[in-house]
Amino acid sequence: MLRASAACEKAGFPTSSLTCEGFFKQGKATSIGLGFPNIGLALVPGHIGTKSTEQLRQDILHTTLDEVIKNLTSFDQVGQASQEPHPKAVVARGDFFAINEQFYASGYTDGLPIVPPTQTLIDAFLSYTELEADEVLGVMLPDKRAATVWSVAVNGVMAGCKPQYMPILIALVQAMADPSYGVEHSGNTPGADTLIILNGPIIKELAFNDQQGALRDGFMPNTSIGRFFRLYLRNVAGFHLHKTDKATFGNTWRVVLAENEEVLAEIDWPTIGMDMGFARGENVLTIARYSGGGSLSSVSGSTPEQLLPYLADSIERFNNWQITFTTSHGNGTLRPLAVITPILARSLANAGWSKLRVQEWLFEHARRPAWEFERQLKEWNIRGTWNLTKDAKEGKIPALFLESEDPNRLVPIVWKPSDLMIAVGGDPLRNNAYVFAHNAFLGFPTAKKILLPKNWSERVRSPSQGSA
Amino acid sequence: MSEPQHNGWFEALWPRGALQQKKLNLAPRLESLKGKKVAQLWDDLFKGDVVFEILEQGLRQRFPDIEFVSWREFGNTHGADEKEALKRLPDKLRELGVDAVISGMAC
Repeated sequence: MLRASAACEKAGFPTSSLTCEGFFKQGKATSIGLGFPNIGLALVPGHIGTKSTEQLRQDILHTTLDEVIKNLTSFDQVGQASQEPHPKAVVARGDFFAINEQFYASGYTDGLPIVPPTQTLIDAFLSYTELEADEVLGVMLPDKRAATVWSVAVNGVMAGCKPQYMPILIALVQAMADPSYGVEHSGNTPGADTLIILNGPIIKELAFNDQQGALRDGFMPNTSIGRFFRLYLRNVAGFHLHKTDKATFGNTWRVVLAENEEVLAEIDWPTIGMDMGFARGENVLTIARYSGGGSLSSVSGSTPEQLLPYLADSIERFNNWQITFTTSHGNGTLRPLAVITPILARSLANAGWSKLRVQEWLFEHARRPAWEFERQLKEWNIRGTWNLTKDAKEGKIPALFLESEDPNRLVPIVWKPSDLMIAVGGDPLRNNAYVFAHNAFLGFPTAKKILLPKNWSERVRSPSQGSA
Repeated sequence: MSEPQHNGWFEALWPRGALQQKKLNLAPRLESLKGKKVAQLWDDLFKGDVVFEILEQGLRQRFPDIEFVSWREFGNTHGADEKEALKRLPDKLRELGVDAVISGMAC
């Protein structure tokens, strides 16, 4: 909403932005990165979702109305912004604990100790890229800061990464800065968290955990790169809790998911990296943001028809309110992710099923009655004026959502089979799965190739295992 | 007797990045809403349809000759097509002779 207001102000139209009480601080903080620190916000007391129409009327007429008029006829002057350090400035001196206290007090850390980013350590990271330190990889909202190779190295040091992770960190920031990902939405209220999926020989070269416990901390590359993502969001994009990050609950960062490439090659299924347009054997990183999900225990059966109903049902159930992105609002950008274990993938492949055939089956069966689909969004969620039939008749969603007027007809939760993403990982010999509920265009799957420096093979030694 | 701790001595560098956005000037404000045309922009969320209806009534009471361009005219300003929708906005506002904009809903 504020981005719309900023676009209008730039074009010469005075604006007033209707802002619920809980969003006021975020509105103020976000407006700085948009260039209008004094953009007019009109307060809507409390939260709209819990008011009766009569209460809402009282609040709008007694509070919001005056603020709208004030915003459109006057504005507050603002002073000069305070001077910030030079991007390569030393900002703290002292011992390990003093540095950590200063960094925590300045809002640079996540609450855990960081490795002090010194020039020597930063240089070690920079030695693992052919790019110049000052190269700008992108500019990220809400702060609208330059995402440089230098700042990647600084935050990589802080997160506890090793210098040889630098090529992955650069690809990660390139993906974050890609407009298709939508980093500017990272502070939205569902508090979704990004999953980094890794493919390629780099998994083995840097000793990522691609086996049992694939989504749990305990292995340095998986964990520290996950932490790096969150630190970079904080320090460069500018997402801070109680200001620009409005996660209602949120989670700790997710560790990197390294796919089980050997099994995927053995059964000749494409990796996630291949689904994203790259070749088998290329080092590729894919990110997407997920607002929920959960594990499926004991997916049982000896045929695809016995194994898949449980998975289809879970994909449909875990992606609950997220179906708002299946409609015109999200333009079909919902991409649920199912992570299945090697034993499940092998069972499906041994029956002659390709990954696409599995996706097609899931597409046909991960469905819900149209009346339930509409109830979720119109009555329970926030889309009171929206209508599934209207969306379909206006061609804003595929015709298969309106094959009849029967409210009990089953409708899919995505537009096409390949929208249901499937990764392979986790405990090779356990028949469990994990389903992620996606946050659609507010964290759309985005992949980047990982570019290695010269002499990579010689420079990468065999790193020790984490908590094996 | 405990040994003294050796926690090192460090010079730590700034982890952020240079701001790329300069402060811009807001659009000139109106002297009054009397006789003005006000556009409603909505992100299709949080009962904006109800809020705009109430606001319209309240503003009409104070400025009887005020005009409105409904949110229906502009479509969703936030969904997956946000970037394209915002690009189209300035021309659309000019074409419709709009003087000011009310944008919602941040909740």
